[in-house]
Amino acid sequence: MKSYIKNIIVLVIAIIVAVIASVDFLKMHVNEEIGENPNITEIKMLSEYAPRLKGTSLDTEVYFFDSGVEGGTFLILGGTHPNESAGLVAATALIENIEVEEGRVIIIPRTNNSGFTHTSPFDGMQDFFTLTLADGSERTFRVGNRLTNPVHQWPDRNYYEGTSGRTIYGTENAEVRNVNRLYYGTEDGVLTEQVCYGIYNLINQENVSITMDMHEGSPEFLYLDCTMVNMKRDNTTAMSIASDMAISMNFDDLDMRAEYSGVTSYGLSHRSLGDNTDSMMTLMETYNPSMGPLHGKMDDDLIVNGNEPNYYEASLDGYIYFNVPEDGYPLIERVARHMTCIRYLAEAYSWEYPEESIVISGIPEYWDIVDGGFDSILKPLV
Amino acid sequence: MKKLVVFMILISLLITSAFSATKSSTTTPSTGTVEGSATYSAETAAQYKYQTNDKNRMVTIGSNGEKFQGPVLVTSFGQSTDGSMIEQVMKRLKTVAYTYNPIATGADLAGIKTVVIAVGNSTKGLGAAGISQEQETQRAKEFMAAVKNAGVDVICCHIGGATRRGALSDAFADMVLPLSSFIVVKEDGNEDGKFTTFATSNNVPITLVYGSKDTVDAFKAIF
Repeated sequence: MKSYIKNIIVLVIAIIVAVIASVDFLKMHVNEEIGENPNITEIKMLSEYAPRLKGTSLDTEVYFFDSGVEGGTFLILGGTHPNESAGLVAATALIENIEVEEGRVIIIPRTNNSGFTHTSPFDGMQDFFTLTLADGSERTFRVGNRLTNPVHQWPDRNYYEGTSGRTIYGTENAEVRNVNRLYYGTEDGVLTEQVCYGIYNLINQENVSITMDMHEGSPEFLYLDCTMVNMKRDNTTAMSIASDMAISMNFDDLDMRAEYSGVTSYGLSHRSLGDNTDSMMTLMETYNPSMGPLHGKMDDDLIVNGNEPNYYEASLDGYIYFNVPEDGYPLIERVARHMTCIRYLAEAYSWEYPEESIVISGIPEYWDIVDGGFDSILKPLV
Repeated sequence: MKKLVVFMILISLLITSAFSATKSSTTTPSTGTVEGSATYSAETAAQYKYQTNDKNRMVTIGSNGEKFQGPVLVTSFGQSTDGSMIEQVMKRLKTVAYTYNPIATGADLAGIKTVVIAVGNSTKGLGAAGISQEQETQRAKEFMAAVKNAGVDVICCHIGGATRRGALSDAFADMVLPLSSFIVVKEDGNEDGKFTTFATSNNVPITLVYGSKDTVDAFKAIF
């Protein structure tokens, strides 16, 4: 009898711990609120473009800004990889601030909605980070994981061939839950691939002219502060537009370069959506020290202030290519960089194709964002 | 037993030192040195004394006398994105007629007075253009022969910096430099002195720029 009591006590304690942990973890299934903007003309769900996504955790919101003036359409993707935090924050800030004066802008802030519902526990990743605004209010964002939650798509197949021809197998098989490996997607593929199909369909149905997929990379990555561009064969205009953006950013004293989309980058947005739709495809990367294996303690400070001395040392010693700033690379600068890139891309696109102009207002200048902090781009939530 | 321990320690030290030697020989220097460069190394880069900086963003050595005339043809040798950047520089000049053709041939020289060639190899760029390294090299050779016959002015541009140096990029630069009337180089691509040495030895004026955006001012001075 005595041993039964012991066992029951242990069981009850285990249940209590499990319930507390579950309640805490389930908070990750609640989408962060996005502030209102009277310029939003419509909010759809991606399942309108990929019906089988309806009712699943991968269905996601699509924000429309229609000026009512004829012009081009700019699609902006945030949260393709949820742990690349600048993408979600930049997309949120754009939704809360922009006004479109010519053409249309479409924003998907959480492209892989399921990826936001879990973390990378073995990488020591945390679940949330919080930004405090001047009025004392807080904006909290999830960190998430770069892959779809296995609760929503499981098991990972041993072999998968995407529509791009990319084969996923062996040690890479978890990538079958990576949105940015399965473009251009198919309606009857795995759920993650259905997201790709939804975006592919959206681009075609909404006649998207130009797309930006916002990303961040670990410090070891070669293409940081860089925008990948799909230059369709015999068409140098896409690179001209990207170079225009890059040199404009240079004039703001920002390092930025444009680079050709690799011809074998099968399944990635810039390659496979560029090859299979009429949209000009771009993908930008900023430096995120929380994503690399050399990072120290994972906390808000690392994510928000982006200061990781290990990477500064590695940079000084020549072990990584990226020139890491001594004071770090704060999230506000990375978000500002994404927003500035989008502003200049829209301007360059409109200059090149005046009949398809996309005129966006409400995006502050880079240094105004950096100097003003998150107060300059995020609204306090009531 | 003691002998065995000493032997094991010696073997461990030997393996450790061998590993360290391997590691140091394969480290990529922070200067972004590209594998395959004959002269470019971290050591030479460390010895280089920069002439430009954040305050003094442009330094010209020598003078080209009269300004270059349009129409201008901008092309690329190596299909890096630098050709497209030069196109944007020309766009910002607003005063000179130009065309941009990254795969220009001799036939494109009709009516052209000045050719601006962005030298810098990019395997991604070659892939995007759908041409091989050999085809690009052949085009560059034929283009330079046509340029020589046409007698047009040539401006050699290397604005890709240290990362755009290497044996393949240097081979394209070596094709262009002998016929160049002017050289524009982003200075971190000159850390081995390749371009300044050629310029001073051959009395060709050269402008070193600190950043890509400074190319606009460099071009304003010569057009």
